[in-house]
Amino acid sequence: MLQLKLPRVPAGSGAPLPPEWRWENDAARRSAVVLLGRREFLKAATILLAALAVPVTRARRALARVRGGFFTAQELATLEALVDRILPPDHDPGAKALGAAAYIEGLLTAFDDPGRVARIFAGGPFSNRNAFPDNKKGKPSRKRPKNDLKNFIPPTRVQELRWRAELFGSDQVPGAAFNDAALGGPLVGLRQIYRDGLKKVDDMATAMSGKSYAKLPPAEQDQLLVLFDAGAFQPDARRGGLTFISIVIEHTLEGCFALPEYGGNRGRRGWKMLGLEGDNQPLGFSIYSEAKDGYNERAHHPMSTANPDELRHGVLTPRPISTDASGIQDSIIMLAGLFGE
Amino acid sequence: MANDDVLGNLTLTEPFDFCIIGSGAGGGTAAHVLTAAGKSVLVLEAGGNPFPGLDQSAPLPFPLHSNDELKYSLRSFIKQDPFLEPRTFRTVTSDAGALMGDVNTLPKAVGGAFQHADAKTPRFNAVDFHLKSAVEALIARTPGLTVPGFGADAASANFADWPFTYADLEPFYVEAELLYGVQGDGDNIYESQRSHPYRMPAGVGMYFALLLADGAKRVTVPGIGALNPHTYPAAINSRFARSYDPSAPDDRPPCVDCGLCSGFGCPNNSKNSPAVTTLRRALLSGNCQLRYNAVVTRLIFNGRVVSAAEYVDGAGNLQTASAHNFILAASAIESARLCLLSDPTGPGLGNASGQVGQNLMFHLQNNVNGFLPQRVHGQRGRAVTHGISDFRGVMPGGEEIRVFTDASGNPRVALGGICEFGASQGQPITEDGSVYTQQLPGNLGLRFGIHLKNAIRDGALGQHLLGLTMQAEDAPQRTNAVDLDGRYTDVYGRPVARITYSSHAFETETRKFYLPYMKQVCAQAGVPSGKIFVAPNDYTLVGPPSSRHIMGTLRMGSDPAASVVDPGGRFHDLDNLYACDGSVFPTASGYNPTLTIIAVALRIAHGLAGTAPAT
Repeated sequence: MLQLKLPRVPAGSGAPLPPEWRWENDAARRSAVVLLGRREFLKAATILLAALAVPVTRARRALARVRGGFFTAQELATLEALVDRILPPDHDPGAKALGAAAYIEGLLTAFDDPGRVARIFAGGPFSNRNAFPDNKKGKPSRKRPKNDLKNFIPPTRVQELRWRAELFGSDQVPGAAFNDAALGGPLVGLRQIYRDGLKKVDDMATAMSGKSYAKLPPAEQDQLLVLFDAGAFQPDARRGGLTFISIVIEHTLEGCFALPEYGGNRGRRGWKMLGLEGDNQPLGFSIYSEAKDGYNERAHHPMSTANPDELRHGVLTPRPISTDASGIQDSIIMLAGLFGE
Repeated sequence: MANDDVLGNLTLTEPFDFCIIGSGAGGGTAAHVLTAAGKSVLVLEAGGNPFPGLDQSAPLPFPLHSNDELKYSLRSFIKQDPFLEPRTFRTVTSDAGALMGDVNTLPKAVGGAFQHADAKTPRFNAVDFHLKSAVEALIARTPGLTVPGFGADAASANFADWPFTYADLEPFYVEAELLYGVQGDGDNIYESQRSHPYRMPAGVGMYFALLLADGAKRVTVPGIGALNPHTYPAAINSRFARSYDPSAPDDRPPCVDCGLCSGFGCPNNSKNSPAVTTLRRALLSGNCQLRYNAVVTRLIFNGRVVSAAEYVDGAGNLQTASAHNFILAASAIESARLCLLSDPTGPGLGNASGQVGQNLMFHLQNNVNGFLPQRVHGQRGRAVTHGISDFRGVMPGGEEIRVFTDASGNPRVALGGICEFGASQGQPITEDGSVYTQQLPGNLGLRFGIHLKNAIRDGALGQHLLGLTMQAEDAPQRTNAVDLDGRYTDVYGRPVARITYSSHAFETETRKFYLPYMKQVCAQAGVPSGKIFVAPNDYTLVGPPSSRHIMGTLRMGSDPAASVVDPGGRFHDLDNLYACDGSVFPTASGYNPTLTIIAVALRIAHGLAGTAPAT
């Protein structure tokens, strides 16, 4: 297998962020908000509001649970807006339409239904999207397997411990805190990270633009996202230095391009956008034929020759790639070149 | 038994004749030979079981493996999870070492790591088994020849000959290729003499591999001439199993080239990994019991005798298993770690030589890559279908070391390794998106937005990256080692493994020698000149080698002062403990190690069983 190896460079867009929103100042700001809240609380008639706020939040979360979810409607709207700026819609669907937010919610609630296998490892071996090969004739048969991918595989005891720690935090799962002291603190669970992160996104959006993130026009959302990425969130040492934004980016990619059985990649439009076949077993790309004691390839998905859409009258005619794609290639070459080989 | 994580014959009773720790290429192979000889065998496997029904006499069911990037590349379905079982890494013993995400982790599951590889199975060359003597003889008869790690520089490395020859091992290679169904066209001129042809022809070649093969033919290296591309031997069916082995327990189908091969389990059982080949045979014999999710925490021993293996079962309870003999086959890092864990207050089990855990070898992977203008569609195929062995640095036939003349007219050798022709496998999350967003500098503007979408849509990496990976031999060094790092524990409460590893001039000089020719192969394959690059190597990046070829740590040899196990695989210091995985390799050669792990396991197991290899 060919593996690309690159030096790790700190992520982040490098744009200036107002100092009060930098993660270094989170603690200070939080305590200020608490103080302010208390003063308001004592001063005026917000007692009622405050009293209501708790049950409302609780009710929203209860509602989220009923629909099988984790996020409140507000959180979901913010997340959908975020993922849709990470992979925005154009002539192809964006991450929201591809179901990235639903994917993320599926991950965060993987253990929420005790009567159901945790939704961590999709089943195997086949979906029902491809036919079995006919090895007598060396072509696809008419027979299709049933979809086993939707039957999730129960994690082992330690796999469950690991994924519960991932979602709920290592200090919340018995037996998962074994390196917390040595590593300077617990692994914070993704559920907490999303709750806090989405709240901060909306707090920042409201403070800077007067509206919650989802209600802003895309251009403003883009500007804010650059700012959020520039130091609003603390790199998580126990997650390889990822910030909340890095985590949302990673999960957005997963939600767009992983198997649809995980809740994203709706209609497999993520794969279609990339020109990928996706899961292709049990048919694959070559079919052994007993008749000829050799292999046949699939005409439109050839294995040993160039893609048909890059051949014109048999002459190789590469499809041009975008300057973004070409730029990435050049950046990688430049990075590798730093090592002078 | 506290839980039902068990396969095979449940009526077998302790003490077993043999208890094998690990069910992969080494352990699965040994289990087959020993059970076929009527021995009762208990296999303890640390991982879970992706092969439900592996022990049923009815036709073998399909496994739980699937075309699923998330499950394998991101969620560690069968891979050792660094959260549960972390490792630390350092380059020199003067550092303490640091916890790193993935330090040479291998899959842990019934059937072992092989199921997760792309099953490349070349043999070693004949000269590999006596490389030390061969290089020394060459130095003696070649004025002006120096080789790092040899002669005056011998103390910087720890080369040793194997305690047997290629000819001794050849019958076991033959059996290995039968049991594990190895395909190939026999077109590698550097391959050493074989007494049996490949079991079936090579399957369809991948597009980019054929381009690289054509390119290689147009590259000339002084001393070699034009390069000699060949099909890559692989333990993957290109025919039904019973066409090459009428006694195969199942007529498993030919590969369909689904593409998710390297790093994935095989959904249709056409990859001939230990679970569906040797373990399957062992389980059907009636003489084998396999307990999975059984993590061995220590071997209990007294003097020269091991009496039991203590393990944590799938429910988290501590259990013991007793046997007359024990075989370590947990892979080179974990087998050595278990020796150290078993003797926490002493030098380590079987460590009178002081070399347990040392001489750790990985192969120095050298990558020269390029971006082709057209799409390489690496998602169609078996990951690697072709390669060249010219850079192993031996003469055709693999009996002699090649002597090159360097730019100054001096003689030199360059013992590199086989080059795999590879490409991205078209995995959109890990080979495109995550690289752009998490690995490249954020100020490229590709962390999010339309530019990111454009780049992913074009598969800038996933559809255009191809290249050569040289699996170059690395010198055995006593300072490259596994030991225990008590600062961190795994989920079972055991101190973690710490890897210490630095490259030797033996392999870094070889890297420098071949890189220009590797670039030429890319250029001749059609990569524009500005789109070729050398990937920085792991050592330069101060990270653990990304190679999954893990060897050494329990060196095999005749001299108890200089090796850990004897030529029969038995620990010099113990009467009933053996090792039969990559840990016993004295040197690493420059070819993928799995077939040799299997052949060595066959040799050791037949020695224990008193049987002869099948042909």
